[in-house]
Amino acid sequence: MIELGVEEERTKLKREIAELRAALYSKEQSLLYLDEIVSAAAARGVDEDAPESPTRTLHTKLTNDDIARYSRQLILPDFGVQGQLKLKNSSVLIVGMGGLGCPAAQYLAAAGCGHLGLVDYDHVERSNFHRQILHSETRVGWTKPDSARFALLELNPHCEIRSHVRLLNRFNALNIIRSYDVVLDCSDNVATRYLLSDACVMLQKPLVSGSALKMDGQLTVYNYANGPCYRCLYPVPPPKESVTNCGDGGVLGAVTGTIGAMQALEAIKVIVGLGDVLAGRLLIFDGSTSLFRNIRIRNKRPNCHVCSAQPLITQLIDYEMFCGMRANDKDAEQNLLSVGDRLKVKEYQEQLQTQQHLLIDVRPPAEFEICQLPGAVNVPLAEILDDSYIKRFGSQLEDKDLPIILLCRRGNDSQIAVQHVRSRFPKHSIRDLIGGLHAWTNTVDPSFPIY
Amino acid sequence: MPTDGPVVNVHVLFFAKSRELARTPRSEVDVPAQIVASELLEQLVARFDLTSIRDNLILAHNETYIENLSDKIHFKEGDELAIIPPLSGG
Repeated sequence: MIELGVEEERTKLKREIAELRAALYSKEQSLLYLDEIVSAAAARGVDEDAPESPTRTLHTKLTNDDIARYSRQLILPDFGVQGQLKLKNSSVLIVGMGGLGCPAAQYLAAAGCGHLGLVDYDHVERSNFHRQILHSETRVGWTKPDSARFALLELNPHCEIRSHVRLLNRFNALNIIRSYDVVLDCSDNVATRYLLSDACVMLQKPLVSGSALKMDGQLTVYNYANGPCYRCLYPVPPPKESVTNCGDGGVLGAVTGTIGAMQALEAIKVIVGLGDVLAGRLLIFDGSTSLFRNIRIRNKRPNCHVCSAQPLITQLIDYEMFCGMRANDKDAEQNLLSVGDRLKVKEYQEQLQTQQHLLIDVRPPAEFEICQLPGAVNVPLAEILDDSYIKRFGSQLEDKDLPIILLCRRGNDSQIAVQHVRSRFPKHSIRDLIGGLHAWTNTVDPSFPIY
Repeated sequence: MPTDGPVVNVHVLFFAKSRELARTPRSEVDVPAQIVASELLEQLVARFDLTSIRDNLILAHNETYIENLSDKIHFKEGDELAIIPPLSGG
Protein backbone atom coordinates (compact mmCIF):
# COMPACT_ATOMS: atom_id res chain seq x y z
CA MET A 1 0.00 0.00 0.00
CA ILE A 2 2.84 2.36 0.88
CA GLU A 3 4.42 1.66 -2.48
CA LEU A 4 1.17 2.44 -4.21
CA GLY A 5 1.03 5.82 -2.46
CA VAL A 6 4.62 6.56 -3.38
CA GLU A 7 3.95 5.66 -6.98
CA GLU A 8 0.97 8.02 -7.11
CA GLU A 9 3.00 10.82 -5.52
CA ARG A 10 5.78 10.29 -8.04
CA THR A 11 3.37 10.45 -10.93
CA LYS A 12 1.77 13.57 -9.51
CA LEU A 13 5.13 15.30 -9.02
CA LYS A 14 6.25 14.36 -12.52
CA ARG A 15 3.08 15.83 -13.93
CA GLU A 16 3.44 19.01 -11.89
CA ILE A 17 7.06 19.40 -12.98
CA ALA A 18 6.05 18.92 -16.61
CA GLU A 19 3.32 21.55 -16.23
CA LEU A 20 5.71 24.01 -14.60
CA ARG A 21 8.23 23.40 -17.38
CA ALA A 22 5.56 24.07 -19.97
CA ALA A 23 4.50 27.28 -18.21
CA LEU A 24 8.13 28.41 -17.88
CA TYR A 25 8.75 27.60 -21.50
CA SER A 26 5.76 29.56 -22.71
CA LYS A 27 6.86 32.58 -20.66
CA GLU A 28 10.38 32.29 -22.05
CA GLN A 29 8.96 32.24 -25.56
CA SER A 30 6.88 35.36 -24.88
CA LEU A 31 9.97 37.08 -23.50
CA LEU A 32 12.02 36.02 -26.54
CA TYR A 33 9.36 37.41 -28.79
CA LEU A 34 9.36 40.77 -27.00
CA ASP A 35 13.17 40.80 -26.98
CA GLU A 36 13.16 40.35 -30.71
CA ILE A 37 10.75 43.22 -31.25
CA VAL A 38 13.02 45.42 -29.13
CA SER A 39 16.21 44.34 -30.86
CA ALA A 40 14.65 44.71 -34.30
CA ALA A 41 13.57 48.23 -33.45
CA ALA A 42 16.95 49.17 -32.04
CA ALA A 43 20.04 49.12 -34.17
CA ARG A 44 21.12 45.57 -34.80
CA GLY A 45 23.57 44.82 -31.99
CA VAL A 46 25.41 41.65 -31.16
CA ASP A 47 23.06 38.71 -31.06
CA GLU A 48 23.51 35.01 -31.46
CA ASP A 49 21.68 34.89 -34.78
CA ALA A 50 23.78 37.63 -36.31
CA PRO A 51 25.54 36.64 -39.51
CA GLU A 52 29.02 35.33 -39.06
CA SER A 53 31.85 37.71 -39.85
CA PRO A 54 32.78 37.55 -43.53
CA THR A 55 36.24 36.30 -42.63
CA ARG A 56 35.07 32.69 -42.85
CA THR A 57 38.05 30.73 -44.17
CA LEU A 58 37.78 29.67 -47.76
CA HIS A 59 39.13 26.15 -48.12
CA THR A 60 41.06 25.48 -51.31
CA LYS A 61 42.50 22.07 -50.40
CA LEU A 62 41.18 18.87 -48.91
CA THR A 63 42.94 17.44 -45.86
CA ASN A 64 44.04 13.81 -45.71
CA ASP A 65 41.19 13.19 -43.32
CA ASP A 66 38.76 14.69 -45.83
CA ILE A 67 40.12 12.43 -48.56
CA ALA A 68 39.81 9.30 -46.44
CA ARG A 69 36.41 10.26 -45.04
CA TYR A 70 34.75 11.29 -48.31
CA SER A 71 36.58 8.88 -50.64
CA ARG A 72 33.42 7.09 -51.80
CA GLN A 73 31.85 10.31 -53.05
CA LEU A 74 35.12 11.91 -54.19
CA ILE A 75 35.49 9.23 -56.86
CA LEU A 76 32.11 10.12 -58.37
CA PRO A 77 33.06 11.75 -61.69
CA ASP A 78 30.49 14.58 -61.41
CA PHE A 79 31.35 15.33 -57.81
CA GLY A 80 35.10 15.03 -57.28
CA VAL A 81 37.48 17.26 -55.35
CA GLN A 82 35.86 20.46 -56.60
CA GLY A 83 32.44 19.26 -55.44
CA GLN A 84 33.81 18.32 -52.03
CA LEU A 85 35.47 21.73 -51.67
CA LYS A 86 32.27 23.51 -52.61
CA LEU A 87 30.45 21.50 -49.98
CA LYS A 88 33.15 22.21 -47.40
CA ASN A 89 32.82 25.94 -48.07
CA SER A 90 29.04 25.91 -48.06
CA SER A 91 26.53 26.75 -45.36
CA VAL A 92 23.02 25.33 -45.13
CA LEU A 93 20.22 26.42 -42.83
CA ILE A 94 17.75 23.73 -41.81
CA VAL A 95 14.48 25.03 -40.42
CA GLY A 96 12.75 22.41 -38.28
CA MET A 97 14.71 19.60 -36.61
CA GLY A 98 11.94 17.04 -36.86
CA GLY A 99 11.17 14.15 -39.17
CA LEU A 100 12.54 15.93 -42.25
CA GLY A 101 15.26 18.03 -40.65
CA CYS A 102 16.97 15.13 -38.84
CA PRO A 103 17.72 12.94 -41.87
CA ALA A 104 18.49 16.00 -44.02
CA ALA A 105 21.01 17.28 -41.45
CA GLN A 106 22.46 13.82 -41.03
CA TYR A 107 23.25 13.39 -44.73
CA LEU A 108 24.54 16.94 -45.11
CA ALA A 109 26.86 16.69 -42.11
CA ALA A 110 28.02 13.23 -43.16
CA ALA A 111 28.71 14.41 -46.72
CA GLY A 112 30.97 17.16 -45.46
CA CYS A 113 28.87 20.29 -45.60
CA GLY A 114 31.09 22.80 -43.80
CA HIS A 115 28.51 24.85 -41.93
CA LEU A 116 25.05 23.90 -40.77
CA GLY A 117 22.52 26.06 -38.98
CA LEU A 118 19.70 24.32 -37.13
CA VAL A 119 16.47 26.14 -36.25
CA ASP A 120 13.81 24.83 -33.89
CA TYR A 121 12.13 26.15 -30.76
CA ASP A 122 10.85 22.80 -29.52
CA HIS A 123 12.15 20.25 -27.04
CA VAL A 124 12.84 16.55 -27.56
CA GLU A 125 10.13 14.17 -26.41
CA ARG A 126 9.47 10.44 -26.69
CA SER A 127 6.89 10.70 -29.47
CA ASN A 128 9.62 12.20 -31.70
CA PHE A 129 11.93 9.19 -31.83
CA HIS A 130 10.14 7.10 -34.43
CA ARG A 131 10.99 9.65 -37.12
CA GLN A 132 13.34 12.26 -35.65
CA ILE A 133 16.32 9.96 -35.70
CA LEU A 134 19.01 12.30 -34.38
CA HIS A 135 17.37 12.65 -30.97
CA SER A 136 17.58 9.95 -28.36
CA GLU A 137 16.28 8.78 -25.00
CA THR A 138 19.16 10.39 -23.08
CA ARG A 139 18.37 13.85 -24.50
CA VAL A 140 14.67 14.12 -23.73
CA GLY A 141 13.97 17.70 -22.69
CA TRP A 142 16.94 19.15 -24.63
CA THR A 143 16.17 21.69 -27.30
CA LYS A 144 16.03 20.00 -30.69
CA PRO A 145 18.86 22.01 -32.27
CA ASP A 146 21.15 21.20 -29.33
CA SER A 147 20.23 17.53 -29.36
CA ALA A 148 20.71 17.30 -33.12
CA ARG A 149 24.00 19.19 -32.93
CA PHE A 150 25.25 16.72 -30.32
CA ALA A 151 24.44 13.74 -32.56
CA LEU A 152 25.80 15.38 -35.72
CA LEU A 153 29.16 16.25 -34.16
CA GLU A 154 29.56 12.61 -33.26
CA LEU A 155 28.99 11.76 -36.89
CA ASN A 156 31.27 14.47 -38.28
CA PRO A 157 33.32 16.61 -35.87
CA HIS A 158 34.53 18.78 -38.75
CA CYS A 159 31.10 20.23 -39.42
CA GLU A 160 30.53 23.63 -37.83
CA ILE A 161 27.05 23.65 -36.41
CA ARG A 162 25.08 26.55 -35.00
CA SER A 163 21.94 26.05 -32.97
CA HIS A 164 19.25 28.69 -33.38
CA VAL A 165 16.79 27.90 -30.59
CA ARG A 166 14.10 30.14 -32.00
CA LEU A 167 10.63 30.13 -33.35
CA LEU A 168 11.35 31.69 -36.70
CA ASN A 169 9.29 34.86 -37.18
CA ARG A 170 9.26 38.02 -39.23
CA PHE A 171 11.61 39.82 -36.84
CA ASN A 172 14.42 37.28 -36.74
CA ALA A 173 14.11 35.37 -40.04
CA LEU A 174 16.14 37.64 -42.37
CA ASN A 175 18.90 38.02 -39.82
CA ILE A 176 19.22 34.28 -39.35
CA ILE A 177 18.91 33.28 -43.02
CA ARG A 178 21.23 35.96 -44.42
CA SER A 179 24.53 34.18 -43.79
CA TYR A 180 23.54 30.83 -45.31
CA ASP A 181 23.79 29.75 -48.96
CA VAL A 182 20.85 27.35 -49.10
CA VAL A 183 17.76 26.98 -46.90
CA LEU A 184 15.88 23.75 -46.20
CA ASP A 185 12.21 24.03 -45.27
CA CYS A 186 11.72 21.10 -42.91
CA SER A 187 8.97 22.86 -40.97
CA ASP A 188 5.63 21.49 -39.92
CA ASN A 189 3.22 24.37 -40.49
CA VAL A 190 1.80 26.65 -43.17
CA ALA A 191 2.77 30.00 -41.59
CA THR A 192 6.47 29.08 -41.48
CA ARG A 193 6.31 27.85 -45.10
CA TYR A 194 5.11 31.28 -46.32
CA LEU A 195 7.60 33.07 -44.06
CA LEU A 196 10.53 31.03 -45.40
CA SER A 197 9.46 31.43 -49.00
CA ASP A 198 9.09 35.21 -48.73
CA ALA A 199 12.35 35.58 -46.82
CA CYS A 200 14.25 33.44 -49.35
CA VAL A 201 12.88 35.53 -52.24
CA MET A 202 13.98 38.73 -50.46
CA LEU A 203 17.46 37.36 -49.79
CA GLN A 204 17.70 35.43 -53.08
CA LYS A 205 18.37 32.06 -51.49
CA PRO A 206 17.29 28.74 -52.99
CA LEU A 207 14.70 27.01 -50.78
CA VAL A 208 14.59 23.22 -50.72
CA SER A 209 11.08 22.57 -49.53
CA GLY A 210 10.00 19.17 -48.21
CA SER A 211 6.84 18.06 -46.49
CA ALA A 212 5.27 14.82 -45.36
CA LEU A 213 2.12 13.51 -43.72
CA LYS A 214 0.74 10.03 -43.22
CA MET A 215 2.18 8.05 -46.18
CA ASP A 216 2.65 11.04 -48.50
CA GLY A 217 5.58 13.29 -49.24
CA GLN A 218 6.28 16.30 -51.47
CA LEU A 219 9.50 17.95 -52.52
CA THR A 220 10.57 20.84 -54.74
CA VAL A 221 13.17 23.60 -54.88
CA TYR A 222 11.72 27.12 -54.88
CA ASN A 223 13.33 30.35 -55.95
CA TYR A 224 16.03 28.65 -57.98
CA ALA A 225 17.07 29.36 -61.59
CA ASN A 226 14.26 31.86 -62.03
CA GLY A 227 11.68 29.27 -60.93
CA PRO A 228 8.54 29.93 -58.91
CA CYS A 229 8.24 30.58 -55.18
CA TYR A 230 5.77 28.97 -52.77
CA ARG A 231 3.36 31.87 -53.26
CA CYS A 232 3.37 31.44 -57.04
CA LEU A 233 1.93 27.99 -56.46
CA TYR A 234 -0.26 28.80 -53.49
CA PRO A 235 -1.17 32.50 -53.48
CA VAL A 236 -3.83 31.93 -50.80
CA PRO A 237 -3.22 29.98 -47.60
CA PRO A 238 -5.47 26.95 -47.08
CA PRO A 239 -8.36 27.15 -44.61
CA LYS A 240 -7.37 25.94 -41.17
CA GLU A 241 -9.77 22.99 -41.19
CA SER A 242 -8.18 21.52 -44.31
CA VAL A 243 -4.73 21.33 -42.72
CA THR A 244 -3.81 18.16 -40.84
CA ASN A 245 -0.69 17.95 -38.67
CA CYS A 246 1.46 14.89 -37.90
CA GLY A 247 0.14 14.78 -34.33
CA ASP A 248 -3.40 14.26 -35.60
CA GLY A 249 -2.92 12.57 -38.97
CA GLY A 250 0.09 10.46 -38.09
CA VAL A 251 3.16 9.92 -40.24
CA LEU A 252 5.54 7.04 -40.90
CA GLY A 253 9.20 7.72 -40.11
CA ALA A 254 10.44 6.08 -43.28
CA VAL A 255 8.26 8.51 -45.28
CA THR A 256 9.69 11.67 -43.65
CA GLY A 257 13.10 9.97 -43.91
CA THR A 258 12.71 9.50 -47.66
CA ILE A 259 11.83 13.16 -48.24
CA GLY A 260 14.41 14.47 -45.74
CA ALA A 261 17.21 12.48 -47.40
CA MET A 262 16.13 13.84 -50.78
CA GLN A 263 16.21 17.40 -49.40
CA ALA A 264 19.86 16.81 -48.52
CA LEU A 265 20.44 15.49 -52.05
CA GLU A 266 18.87 18.57 -53.68
CA ALA A 267 20.88 20.89 -51.40
CA ILE A 268 24.09 19.09 -52.40
CA LYS A 269 23.14 19.38 -56.09
CA VAL A 270 22.45 23.11 -55.71
CA ILE A 271 25.78 23.69 -53.92
CA VAL A 272 27.93 21.53 -56.16
CA GLY A 273 26.12 22.34 -59.41
CA LEU A 274 25.41 18.71 -60.08
CA GLY A 275 22.68 17.10 -62.22
CA ASP A 276 19.23 18.61 -62.67
CA VAL A 277 17.95 20.34 -59.58
CA LEU A 278 14.30 19.61 -58.76
CA ALA A 279 13.16 23.14 -59.59
CA GLY A 280 10.06 23.84 -61.67
CA ARG A 281 8.98 20.31 -60.82
CA LEU A 282 7.14 18.94 -57.83
CA LEU A 283 8.03 15.46 -56.70
CA ILE A 284 5.14 13.58 -55.18
CA PHE A 285 5.85 10.46 -53.19
CA ASP A 286 3.10 8.03 -52.33
CA GLY A 287 4.58 5.70 -49.73
CA SER A 288 1.62 3.34 -49.82
CA THR A 289 2.21 2.42 -53.48
CA SER A 290 5.91 3.40 -53.56
CA LEU A 291 5.20 5.61 -56.56
CA PHE A 292 7.21 8.73 -57.30
CA ARG A 293 5.75 11.26 -59.69
CA ASN A 294 7.16 14.44 -61.12
CA ILE A 295 4.65 17.15 -61.94
CA ARG A 296 5.86 19.98 -64.08
CA ILE A 297 4.74 23.03 -62.11
CA ARG A 298 4.08 26.56 -63.19
CA ASN A 299 6.59 29.26 -64.00
CA LYS A 300 6.80 32.34 -61.83
CA ARG A 301 3.36 33.91 -61.42
CA PRO A 302 3.62 37.21 -63.34
CA ASN A 303 1.67 39.01 -60.60
CA CYS A 304 3.18 37.16 -57.62
CA HIS A 305 2.98 39.42 -54.56
CA VAL A 306 6.57 38.66 -53.62
CA CYS A 307 8.75 37.34 -56.45
CA SER A 308 7.38 39.20 -59.49
CA ALA A 309 9.02 42.29 -60.96
CA GLN A 310 6.55 44.55 -59.14
CA PRO A 311 6.11 42.93 -55.73
CA LEU A 312 3.39 44.17 -53.37
CA ILE A 313 5.09 42.63 -50.37
CA THR A 314 8.62 43.92 -49.85
CA GLN A 315 9.09 43.15 -46.18
CA LEU A 316 8.08 40.22 -44.04
CA ILE A 317 4.55 40.27 -42.66
CA ASP A 318 2.72 38.61 -39.76
CA TYR A 319 2.41 35.09 -41.15
CA GLU A 320 0.28 33.73 -38.33
CA MET A 321 -2.27 36.42 -39.09
CA PHE A 322 -1.97 35.95 -42.85
CA CYS A 323 -2.60 32.20 -42.51
CA GLY A 324 -5.01 32.38 -39.57
CA MET A 325 -2.92 29.62 -38.00
CA ARG A 326 -0.14 29.44 -35.45
CA ALA A 327 3.42 28.81 -36.62
CA ASN A 328 3.58 25.39 -34.96
CA ASP A 329 1.85 22.07 -35.32
CA LYS A 330 0.36 21.96 -31.83
CA ASP A 331 -3.38 21.79 -31.45
CA ALA A 332 -4.98 24.74 -29.80
CA GLU A 333 -7.66 23.95 -27.23
CA GLN A 334 -11.04 24.85 -28.63
CA ASN A 335 -14.03 26.15 -26.76
CA LEU A 336 -17.09 25.53 -28.88
CA LEU A 337 -19.32 24.72 -25.93
CA SER A 338 -19.87 26.56 -22.68
CA VAL A 339 -18.39 24.94 -19.58
CA GLY A 340 -21.84 24.07 -18.20
CA ASP A 341 -22.48 21.94 -21.26
CA ARG A 342 -19.39 19.89 -20.60
CA LEU A 343 -18.19 17.43 -18.02
CA LYS A 344 -14.89 17.17 -16.16
CA VAL A 345 -13.39 13.67 -16.36
CA LYS A 346 -13.40 13.50 -12.55
CA GLU A 347 -17.13 14.30 -12.47
CA TYR A 348 -17.76 11.64 -15.06
CA GLN A 349 -15.82 9.08 -13.06
CA GLU A 350 -17.51 9.95 -9.75
CA GLN A 351 -21.07 10.59 -10.83
CA LEU A 352 -21.80 8.87 -14.10
CA GLN A 353 -19.49 5.96 -14.72
CA THR A 354 -21.46 3.60 -12.47
CA GLN A 355 -24.86 4.67 -13.87
CA GLN A 356 -26.58 3.75 -17.11
CA HIS A 357 -25.26 5.95 -19.89
CA LEU A 358 -24.08 5.88 -23.47
CA LEU A 359 -20.36 6.58 -23.83
CA ILE A 360 -19.38 7.37 -27.41
CA ASP A 361 -15.73 7.71 -28.40
CA VAL A 362 -15.52 9.74 -31.62
CA ARG A 363 -11.89 9.04 -32.50
CA PRO A 364 -10.91 7.19 -35.69
CA PRO A 365 -10.87 3.37 -35.30
CA ALA A 366 -7.04 3.14 -35.43
CA GLU A 367 -6.86 5.43 -32.39
CA PHE A 368 -9.70 3.66 -30.57
CA GLU A 369 -7.72 0.45 -30.93
CA ILE A 370 -4.79 1.96 -29.01
CA CYS A 371 -6.78 2.52 -25.81
CA GLN A 372 -10.37 3.05 -24.74
CA LEU A 373 -12.42 3.69 -21.60
CA PRO A 374 -14.52 0.82 -20.20
CA GLY A 375 -17.92 0.60 -21.91
CA ALA A 376 -17.01 3.07 -24.65
CA VAL A 377 -18.36 2.44 -28.14
CA ASN A 378 -16.49 3.76 -31.13
CA VAL A 379 -18.36 6.05 -33.51
CA PRO A 380 -15.82 8.05 -35.56
CA LEU A 381 -16.65 11.74 -35.92
CA ALA A 382 -17.39 11.27 -39.63
CA GLU A 383 -20.21 8.86 -38.77
CA ILE A 384 -21.60 11.35 -36.27
CA LEU A 385 -21.55 14.12 -38.86
CA ASP A 386 -23.21 12.05 -41.60
CA ASP A 387 -25.85 10.79 -39.11
CA SER A 388 -25.11 7.12 -39.81
CA TYR A 389 -24.86 6.55 -36.03
CA ILE A 390 -28.60 7.14 -35.62
CA LYS A 391 -29.51 3.82 -37.16
CA ARG A 392 -26.97 2.02 -35.04
CA PHE A 393 -28.28 3.35 -31.74
CA GLY A 394 -31.92 3.67 -32.78
CA SER A 395 -33.60 2.19 -29.69
CA GLN A 396 -31.16 3.66 -27.15
CA LEU A 397 -31.65 7.13 -28.57
CA GLU A 398 -35.41 6.92 -28.01
CA ASP A 399 -34.80 7.10 -24.26
CA LYS A 400 -34.48 10.80 -23.42
CA ASP A 401 -33.29 10.04 -19.89
CA LEU A 402 -30.23 8.10 -20.97
CA PRO A 403 -27.28 10.48 -20.63
CA ILE A 404 -25.02 10.58 -23.66
CA ILE A 405 -21.33 11.31 -23.14
CA LEU A 406 -19.01 11.96 -26.07
CA LEU A 407 -15.26 11.86 -25.84
CA CYS A 408 -12.11 12.00 -27.94
CA ARG A 409 -8.37 12.34 -27.45
CA ARG A 410 -8.15 15.95 -26.29
CA GLY A 411 -11.70 17.26 -26.10
CA ASN A 412 -11.94 19.17 -29.40
CA ASP A 413 -13.70 16.78 -31.79
CA SER A 414 -16.04 15.71 -29.00
CA GLN A 415 -17.39 19.28 -28.85
CA ILE A 416 -18.14 19.24 -32.57
CA ALA A 417 -19.89 15.91 -32.02
CA VAL A 418 -21.97 17.30 -29.12
CA GLN A 419 -23.13 20.23 -31.25
CA HIS A 420 -24.19 17.87 -34.00
CA VAL A 421 -25.90 15.22 -31.89
CA ARG A 422 -27.65 17.90 -29.84
CA SER A 423 -29.13 19.42 -32.98
CA ARG A 424 -30.69 16.03 -33.74
CA PHE A 425 -31.74 15.23 -30.17
CA PRO A 426 -32.39 18.56 -28.43
CA LYS A 427 -34.22 16.98 -25.47
CA HIS A 428 -31.40 14.62 -24.48
CA SER A 429 -28.61 15.25 -22.00
CA ILE A 430 -25.55 15.32 -24.26
CA ARG A 431 -22.16 16.39 -22.96
CA ASP A 432 -18.51 15.76 -23.68
CA LEU A 433 -15.44 15.21 -21.52
CA ILE A 434 -13.26 18.30 -21.10
CA GLY A 435 -9.70 17.49 -22.15
CA GLY A 436 -10.68 14.03 -23.37
CA LEU A 437 -8.48 11.02 -22.72
CA HIS A 438 -5.47 13.22 -22.01
CA ALA A 439 -7.36 14.68 -19.04
CA TRP A 440 -8.35 11.17 -18.00
CA THR A 441 -4.66 10.16 -17.80
CA ASN A 442 -3.69 13.37 -16.07
CA THR A 443 -6.40 13.51 -13.42
CA VAL A 444 -7.99 10.07 -13.02
CA ASP A 445 -5.78 7.21 -14.11
CA PRO A 446 -2.07 7.89 -14.65
CA SER A 447 -1.63 4.34 -15.96
CA PHE A 448 -3.93 5.05 -18.91
CA PRO A 449 -1.76 5.33 -22.05
CA ILE A 450 -1.22 8.73 -23.62
CA TYR A 451 -0.36 9.33 -27.26
CA MET B 1 -20.41 15.10 -65.67
CA PRO B 2 -22.70 17.25 -67.81
CA THR B 3 -21.73 17.37 -71.43
CA ASP B 4 -22.43 18.73 -74.82
CA GLY B 5 -20.13 17.48 -77.51
CA PRO B 6 -17.79 14.50 -77.41
CA VAL B 7 -16.93 12.92 -74.08
CA VAL B 8 -13.83 11.01 -73.03
CA ASN B 9 -12.98 8.89 -70.04
CA VAL B 10 -10.02 10.08 -67.92
CA HIS B 11 -8.23 8.78 -64.82
CA VAL B 12 -8.35 11.06 -61.82
CA LEU B 13 -5.69 10.60 -59.14
CA PHE B 14 -6.15 12.05 -55.68
CA PHE B 15 -3.27 12.91 -53.38
CA ALA B 16 -3.01 13.73 -49.66
CA LYS B 17 -6.07 15.59 -48.29
CA SER B 18 -8.02 15.21 -51.54
CA ARG B 19 -7.81 11.43 -51.17
CA GLU B 20 -9.50 11.70 -47.78
CA LEU B 21 -12.18 14.03 -49.04
CA ALA B 22 -12.90 11.99 -52.19
CA ARG B 23 -12.63 8.78 -50.13
CA THR B 24 -10.65 7.10 -52.91
CA PRO B 25 -7.11 7.30 -54.33
CA ARG B 26 -8.33 7.18 -57.95
CA SER B 27 -11.43 7.34 -60.04
CA GLU B 28 -12.51 7.32 -63.66
CA VAL B 29 -14.58 10.20 -64.88
CA ASP B 30 -16.26 11.12 -68.15
CA VAL B 31 -15.35 14.65 -69.13
CA PRO B 32 -15.99 16.76 -72.23
CA ALA B 33 -13.10 16.43 -74.66
CA GLN B 34 -12.81 20.22 -74.49
CA ILE B 35 -13.50 22.11 -71.31
CA VAL B 36 -12.37 25.32 -69.65
CA ALA B 37 -10.13 24.44 -66.69
CA SER B 38 -12.13 26.44 -64.13
CA GLU B 39 -15.29 24.63 -65.16
CA LEU B 40 -13.54 21.29 -64.90
CA LEU B 41 -12.31 22.24 -61.43
CA GLU B 42 -15.83 23.18 -60.32
CA GLN B 43 -17.18 19.85 -61.54
CA LEU B 44 -14.47 17.89 -59.74
CA VAL B 45 -14.94 19.90 -56.55
CA ALA B 46 -18.68 19.26 -56.57
CA ARG B 47 -18.42 15.60 -57.44
CA PHE B 48 -15.64 14.70 -54.98
CA ASP B 49 -16.42 17.00 -52.01
CA LEU B 50 -13.30 19.12 -52.47
CA THR B 51 -14.84 22.47 -51.48
CA SER B 52 -12.53 23.00 -48.48
CA ILE B 53 -9.38 22.80 -50.63
CA ARG B 54 -10.62 24.19 -53.94
CA ASP B 55 -8.44 27.32 -53.80
CA ASN B 56 -5.33 25.50 -52.63
CA LEU B 57 -4.73 22.67 -55.01
CA ILE B 58 -2.63 21.87 -58.00
CA LEU B 59 -4.54 20.44 -60.92
CA ALA B 60 -2.23 18.55 -63.26
CA HIS B 61 -3.13 17.19 -66.68
CA ASN B 62 -0.77 14.39 -67.79
CA GLU B 63 1.76 15.45 -65.16
CA THR B 64 1.69 19.11 -66.16
CA TYR B 65 0.31 21.85 -63.92
CA ILE B 66 -2.68 23.64 -65.35
CA GLU B 67 -1.34 27.15 -65.02
CA ASN B 68 -4.27 29.20 -66.13
CA LEU B 69 -7.78 28.28 -65.09
CA SER B 70 -9.26 30.18 -68.02
CA ASP B 71 -7.41 27.93 -70.50
CA LYS B 72 -9.32 25.37 -72.49
CA ILE B 73 -8.17 21.81 -71.79
CA HIS B 74 -8.17 19.19 -74.53
CA PHE B 75 -8.61 15.65 -73.26
CA LYS B 76 -7.94 12.36 -74.98
CA GLU B 77 -9.33 9.04 -73.84
CA GLY B 78 -7.27 7.68 -70.92
CA ASP B 79 -5.61 10.99 -70.00
CA GLU B 80 -4.58 11.49 -66.42
CA LEU B 81 -5.70 14.24 -64.08
CA ALA B 82 -4.01 14.66 -60.71
CA ILE B 83 -5.38 16.62 -57.78
CA ILE B 84 -2.57 17.69 -55.50
CA PRO B 85 -3.15 19.80 -52.41
CA PRO B 86 -0.10 21.12 -50.53
CA LEU B 87 1.27 19.15 -47.60
CA SER B 88 2.57 21.18 -44.70
CA GLY B 89 3.60 18.55 -42.16
CA GLY B 90 7.12 17.48 -41.35
